[in-house]
Amino acid sequence: MDLNELNQRVSAARSEVEGRGETFYPGPSRIHLAHFPPKERWNDWVELDARSWPRRVEKRYMLVPTTCFNCESACGLLAYVDRDTLQVRKFEGNPEHPGSRGRNCAKGPATMNQITDPDRILHPLKRVGGRGEGKWERVTWDDALDDIAARIRQAMREDRHNEVMYHVGRPGEDGYTTRMLAAWGVDGHNSHTNVCSSGARAGYHFWMGMDRPSPDHANAKVIVLVSSHLETGHYFNPHAQRIMEGKKNGAKLIVFDTRLSNTATHADFWLAPYPGSEAAIFLAVASWMIREGRYDREYVRRWWNWREYMTEVRGRAGASFEDFEAALREEYASYTFEFAAAESGLDADTLRDVAATIATAGTRLATHNWRSAGSGNLGGWQVARTLLFLNALTGSIATEGGTFPNSWNKYVPKPPRAPHRHPRQWNDILWPDEYPLALMEMSFLMPHLMKERDGYVDVYFTRVYNPVWTNPDGFHWVDMLKDPKRIGVHVAMTPTWNETAFFADYILPMGHSSERHDLTSYEQYDGQWIGFRQPVLRAARERLGEDVSDTRAVNPGEVWEENEFWIELTWRIDPDGSLGIREFFESLERPGEKMTVDEYYGWMFENSVPGLPEAASKEGLTPLQYMRRYGAFEVSRKVGRVFEQLVPESELEDVHVDDMDRVYTRAPVPPSPKAPGGIKIDPDAEGRRRVGVRVDGEIKRGWPTPTGKLEFWSRTLHEWGWPELALPTYIKSHIHRQNLDADQVPLITTFRVPVQIHTRSINAKWLEEIAHTNPLWIHPEDAARVGIARTGDLVRVETETGYFVVKAWITEGIRPGVVACSHHMGRWKPEGHLGQRMGMSTVALEKEGARWSLNVRKGGGPFESSDPDTMRVWWTDLGVHQNLTHAVHPDPISGMHCWHQAARIRPAEPDDRYGDVSVDTDKGYAAYLRWLEMTRGATAHSPDGTRRPYWMLRPVRPERAAFDLPRSAGSAGPQG
Amino acid sequence: MTATSSATPAELVRALAVLTEPPSPDHARVAEALGFGEIPGSSVYTEVFLFQLFPFASVYLGEEGMLGGEAGSRIAGFWSAVGHQPPPEPDHLGALLGLYAALADAEGARGDAPRGVLAGQARRVLLHEHLAPWLFAYLSKVEALAGPFYARWASVLGAVVRREVEGEAPFDQDLPAHLREAAPLPDPRTEGSAPFLDGLVAFVRTGMILTRADLTRLARTHELGMRMGERRYILEHLLAQDAVTVFRALAEEAGEWTFRHEERVPLLGSTARFFADRATRTAALLTSLADEGETFLTDEFAVKSPQGGEEPT
Repeated sequence: MDLNELNQRVSAARSEVEGRGETFYPGPSRIHLAHFPPKERWNDWVELDARSWPRRVEKRYMLVPTTCFNCESACGLLAYVDRDTLQVRKFEGNPEHPGSRGRNCAKGPATMNQITDPDRILHPLKRVGGRGEGKWERVTWDDALDDIAARIRQAMREDRHNEVMYHVGRPGEDGYTTRMLAAWGVDGHNSHTNVCSSGARAGYHFWMGMDRPSPDHANAKVIVLVSSHLETGHYFNPHAQRIMEGKKNGAKLIVFDTRLSNTATHADFWLAPYPGSEAAIFLAVASWMIREGRYDREYVRRWWNWREYMTEVRGRAGASFEDFEAALREEYASYTFEFAAAESGLDADTLRDVAATIATAGTRLATHNWRSAGSGNLGGWQVARTLLFLNALTGSIATEGGTFPNSWNKYVPKPPRAPHRHPRQWNDILWPDEYPLALMEMSFLMPHLMKERDGYVDVYFTRVYNPVWTNPDGFHWVDMLKDPKRIGVHVAMTPTWNETAFFADYILPMGHSSERHDLTSYEQYDGQWIGFRQPVLRAARERLGEDVSDTRAVNPGEVWEENEFWIELTWRIDPDGSLGIREFFESLERPGEKMTVDEYYGWMFENSVPGLPEAASKEGLTPLQYMRRYGAFEVSRKVGRVFEQLVPESELEDVHVDDMDRVYTRAPVPPSPKAPGGIKIDPDAEGRRRVGVRVDGEIKRGWPTPTGKLEFWSRTLHEWGWPELALPTYIKSHIHRQNLDADQVPLITTFRVPVQIHTRSINAKWLEEIAHTNPLWIHPEDAARVGIARTGDLVRVETETGYFVVKAWITEGIRPGVVACSHHMGRWKPEGHLGQRMGMSTVALEKEGARWSLNVRKGGGPFESSDPDTMRVWWTDLGVHQNLTHAVHPDPISGMHCWHQAARIRPAEPDDRYGDVSVDTDKGYAAYLRWLEMTRGATAHSPDGTRRPYWMLRPVRPERAAFDLPRSAGSAGPQG
Repeated sequence: MTATSSATPAELVRALAVLTEPPSPDHARVAEALGFGEIPGSSVYTEVFLFQLFPFASVYLGEEGMLGGEAGSRIAGFWSAVGHQPPPEPDHLGALLGLYAALADAEGARGDAPRGVLAGQARRVLLHEHLAPWLFAYLSKVEALAGPFYARWASVLGAVVRREVEGEAPFDQDLPAHLREAAPLPDPRTEGSAPFLDGLVAFVRTGMILTRADLTRLARTHELGMRMGERRYILEHLLAQDAVTVFRALAEEAGEWTFRHEERVPLLGSTARFFADRATRTAALLTSLADEGETFLTDEFAVKSPQGGEEPT
């Protein structure tokens, strides 16, 4: 017997079977260390029924993939659909999903709780009392659609496009809604990004044109994380599994976090700097690298815009690279380890060790900042910018084990009937003059801007978003939402009751992850994938031969999905096509009829996803059938250094190379299956488009920045009023020691717990049981200093607008002199309202003048419902809503809300009760005005008479003319 | 497909591992690739792996001769040490072979990189500590007891493991921890009958694997009544009927095991010597007990009163 021959025979058999898309080894099996049902048996999968234990009762399932709709990671799920009852029985991971690879965090399986939540909203509701009174009547979808459509149609006919606004939380989808808004011609896309990740994004954007990092953790030698948010709770499943792979391969993990996070517990270096000093540390590391020559000179020479810097800043147009290196040393000489130590409170020798460790990474340096310091501090955008500085020095951008730009690790297919139009009006409630460089809409200033500018929005959609609870200064939001002079009709599209929906006119029930269509793609490793979210019961019934064209037919109650909703609404806005928007939602095959969701996605999968038709064909499926069966597809892997790619000859026609080596061509843009990107680079004076950049005589793709290079020095910042910040530098935070009174401490509010996701997961009983409260982290030294004796003692936390009363958690897991309080918790419903019982306290809301108070009347506890588990709720403490006491802190450049608070901590007063909140909204407005004073607006500083640099990212980009500042710029109102 | 080290036929190991599971139609293509012919019915599997030869390392490496125990914990610890969550039955032969193949894959994929070297070391430890000490004895019993399908399976697996061991020469290192920790068969005259009976079914203490089939054969040969149950229970009742005869028959069996182990000394070195020594000691103790006559044995191994409801079979 020849064992090698036998081994080869088995290998060949396995290859052959798996090549057919089947599984050679039966599974789930202990043999090949996998735990997933083989995909060829997803249609009829047998498991023992857990509830029948110890009897062995077999249950038959259809396994239908979908995509999680909790955080933005878009991990793959497999819904186990009971073949007898056609109900979902559980959710597990989808092994075919390239990002999550079959693994999920707790939030994925807890989708089961969300779809069976006994308190979920099942029917469209319309307000019948005053706004916020809590009186509702059930209405039909037709009535709601007709009413809303009529208002929008009227607004469009009267050229009031800016009075239609769509405010989205985490979108959980790519392209559908922005396509719709572009088709409507509405500059009304309002995202939550400026309370989330804009700070860090701005830092990345100024460097490389793209605004997010995609670290290749699994292949890194050194991983540097500035993320109390991400790796602990947002993308943490796809990232955490790869960070652990990296660690297993020997990578060193360096975590910057003032608090001992889950990720920090796994770190080789856990550094807890004084909040806001992170940029000082990175600059010290960079300075050391520069001084010691520990950087990739060739990379810097080829890819930084150092010539532009030497010309414009140093006045030396012909300077050599060596001249630049000398200038670089000079620029950063003052950023010593001792300086960073003084700012951060860390030991200088430790920082030296960290620098030496980072320097060992070479091109395998994976770095990441999402929220955390980037979103906590005034100037937080420079944290990400100085962090990427280290990658730019080591040449570790878009390398194996390095840090990729998001756009190269993400794939958004081109949709059918892409609207080639842009809104004509500029919405300056969302994009106000004072914040021309804001990365995204100034969403959290909406109530303040509306008040200041007498703004009005006729139709305001909040889509799975809860600004009253999430945003700072929430009582200002309540004031705005209740005021008919500000909001004509507020339509809350949500699967679950939330604090914002209480102040709506319509509540439209939308599906959870197994009840809706969406297409997603996120940067999670060096590859590109798409994930398909689908109503799983619709897919299951279709497998059984039924034809389901309306998702409401399979969803609980009258719960709908947005895709079909928007198609229907658009048709009612423009029933005869006279507004010119219906055409984008007409069938391709049957013009004059509505486009179906099957047609929309089927067209994209057929025409816009390379490789998918071929993969589907191998299995005898259409691309849409393939995605309905497997839920995800990997478009490419090992994307690599796109900037180094040579521009092909076919794209070089009548080429012009300018004095900055930027290369322009008359050749048209080659057809691409991808949706157009968000960056727009202006053509040259003769109308040629920019195609690349010349480096050492070769024409390379380069970067989507104004120079085509990595922008070490930003002309944009320089020319738009911020020359002192045009380089990666250090900005002292608003909670820097010098800005605090002696009795104030920084309050860190940006961290999350891994089993909750903002306000979206409240109706998941399993998650609530694990995490339902948010005590104040306080170091024992601080607790002793302010007189807090024990964990659990009530503490009054005073901010600039009011206070909240919370319980203390005395722990050494936080830096002395800093306190921290997580969000997610402190959810509430006003007395007398319908609403979520799981996880929501009942509160009394009172207002006297500008003074608001919130007092808890009833906390958590057991309650009767259709789910017997709700009688087993043993916890009563539901946390405190701290965000109400936060004033708005818009960073004057990135526009990011700077979350960290300057707080005073003291034991609660005798009359204080747990969960009390007290706020003076006048103080909140004064804070808005104070921060406004820091801005340098477009009218005063625009170098070219425009509102915003045209090249910068902008969702639903208006037409070019709308970028021009109005002639009487000083009086710019909401209509622009 | 995963990369594999050139030495270890990982795919073959994985395929053989699959066949330690109860047969299902899904096994057909694996069996076909191996050239084993048709999958046998589940009764054949049950007879071999459930009634005669449990495919769990702890049964053969633990002092109790039963599932789990310290040997099971030690193996679970090994899974953790190599970075895997221990599966529900970490010492199942299929799981161990699956792990072995995975480590070989990792070793092959990463070559001389530190992770590859570590995977290779882990694979060798798994072979030395948790597979080789019991597998040759076990597979020889399977070959002797089972029908053609599983005999063929045992023969190929035996050849694979032999080649793996030969490839790791010199294999004669320290004794595996399971063996270092295991006490020999206790003397019932000083330790009592219960520990003695417990020990008789523990391979690591006696050096011999006693199956139900062995005990049935013994009963038939000596015309003793057979009460079906666990091996310990069967032994207890055989000894109660005619202890001297049973001791002599078991001593003879142990003697044969001594020879089998000695034959493996060139391959397994100290491990084989350990088991040969155990079998020799077992044979000596059993002979001594038989020579002492039946006086104390009658008392020690008296059958419980039939009025207790138990009937001889």
